[in-house]
Amino acid sequence: MQNQFHSLRNFLRLSVLMLMLAAFAAPVAAQSVRPPGNAVNLDDGIEEGPSNALGDLSDTEIWDNFRGGNPRDIFAPAPEGQVMTTTGQQWRMIREKFIRKYLGWAPLIVIGLLAVFYFAKGPMKISAGRSGKTIPRFTLSARVAHWFMAAVFIILGLSGMIILLGRVVIAPYFGLEFNSVLTSAAMQGHNLFGPVFIFALIWLFIKFIRGNFFQWVDLKWISKLGGFFGGHVSSGQFNFGEKSWFWMVIIVGSVISVTGVIMLFPGLVDDIRWLQLSTILHALGAVGLIAVAFGHIYVGTIGMEGSLDSMLKGEVDENWAKEHHDLWYEEMTGKSASETKAPEETP
Amino acid sequence: MSFLQIVEGPLFIFAAAVFVLGALWRLIGIIRIGRKKDISPPKASAAAGFIRGNLRHFIPRGIFAKRTMVHIVGGYGFHLGLFALIFFGAYHIDFLNERILGVSWPAMPRWAFLMVSGVAFSGLIMLWVRRISDPVMRLISSKDDHIGSWLTFLVMLSGCFALEQAHDSLRATHMLLVDIWLVYFPFSRLMHGFTFVLSRGNSGATYGRKGIDL
Repeated sequence: MQNQFHSLRNFLRLSVLMLMLAAFAAPVAAQSVRPPGNAVNLDDGIEEGPSNALGDLSDTEIWDNFRGGNPRDIFAPAPEGQVMTTTGQQWRMIREKFIRKYLGWAPLIVIGLLAVFYFAKGPMKISAGRSGKTIPRFTLSARVAHWFMAAVFIILGLSGMIILLGRVVIAPYFGLEFNSVLTSAAMQGHNLFGPVFIFALIWLFIKFIRGNFFQWVDLKWISKLGGFFGGHVSSGQFNFGEKSWFWMVIIVGSVISVTGVIMLFPGLVDDIRWLQLSTILHALGAVGLIAVAFGHIYVGTIGMEGSLDSMLKGEVDENWAKEHHDLWYEEMTGKSASETKAPEETP
Repeated sequence: MSFLQIVEGPLFIFAAAVFVLGALWRLIGIIRIGRKKDISPPKASAAAGFIRGNLRHFIPRGIFAKRTMVHIVGGYGFHLGLFALIFFGAYHIDFLNERILGVSWPAMPRWAFLMVSGVAFSGLIMLWVRRISDPVMRLISSKDDHIGSWLTFLVMLSGCFALEQAHDSLRATHMLLVDIWLVYFPFSRLMHGFTFVLSRGNSGATYGRKGIDL
């Protein structure tokens, strides 16, 4: 019913456009019509032909009238009876000339930088070695929430990249037919897993909000660049980098969720510019998250010794905790983090 | 004969036959093992205990409910979602009507199908993630459990990929995975879809006969 209504509205708009074009074109067309040979000039009081046949408006003004409003102000309300959407062209240009052309490079650049960092500095080892004693860091439900989000994120990230970049990355090498099949599959998968992401985001927020509020101690972490280039940095349960990642996921994830819902149910908005804005924000936010996620994955796996244990086993080595989350260690154990225990001798 | 016709035709019939015969063979085998004779005088009905045991296990025990919340939510979400998808998805009803049963019934609207798919997928992912995250679950899980989870996931995912019905290759991929799943089912722990009745019933009957209120 709504589609029919939109079709009718589009048809009416097109009709108005055609009528206006005809109205403007009529005087111009009249000038090129020669009178027949037997035509008689009637004395109708008009000595010359119709004056001002081209009207008082320039072409720019005519098209401005078609467009309505100021084409440079994309947030201006759509005028009544507007027959042309200028922002559509602007949206297309942003999508084709910027997003599709350059955005896909962002994750690759991050991967490249991480590779350079890894080969230059190597992984961050536990300087005192593993103590052999562990302390609990994440509960089972927190770990399940994390991996649940990770699984959904990977599915949506892959399918989203195929939808966004398939035509420029896959089609030239594997053919249009293959890209069509892949994009069709990715589109359905993406639409279906989108709502699941919202659920995962809420679950993640509830499970990890505690401990992720910024504190003064985070300034020290920032001033020492997280200890990635040497030096010890104090932090609580989560350091500044982890907190920033958490809030980025929550805020950008919320934007992606809202824009995704708008795209999934376009009937929710009555102005096409919301849809255009949604596609741009959705792509920017998603690719941004994917790019930063590689950094998160790096630190959580090969980049830092002992960090993966927290999400796989739910426990971390005491020396790891003392080194990277000393304030949290002291809070958890009631012991001083400065007393570093020598690594246990292995038989 | 196209690949799609093969996986929807002869291969599907073969897979369905293996599924039915294999499941029956397994179930009859379990029943034929029988139970050790209990010579003590019964205090209550074992049959009633069998039924009560089955029904009682649908409701989580209070003391365990909180600890196993992920398992409960994921389990119910996945199983109920999958049931609804298989039997109330429009494409599945058409397939069952045209190829097997010859009868049709009302299907879920598309929005409900999408929502239920989300619930089913969420449930399955939660269950598998818990399987690899919980040390005890990790220890008691075998390859069979992981293959069963992933095969089911791939069947569902390929079905979701084929939703647009625009490419035969996507539908054929889904049907091929369905065929593999049907053949794998009776010889794996996926059989719990049928055997849960017997195992719950066995416990229920044993306790029921002793007059223990479950």
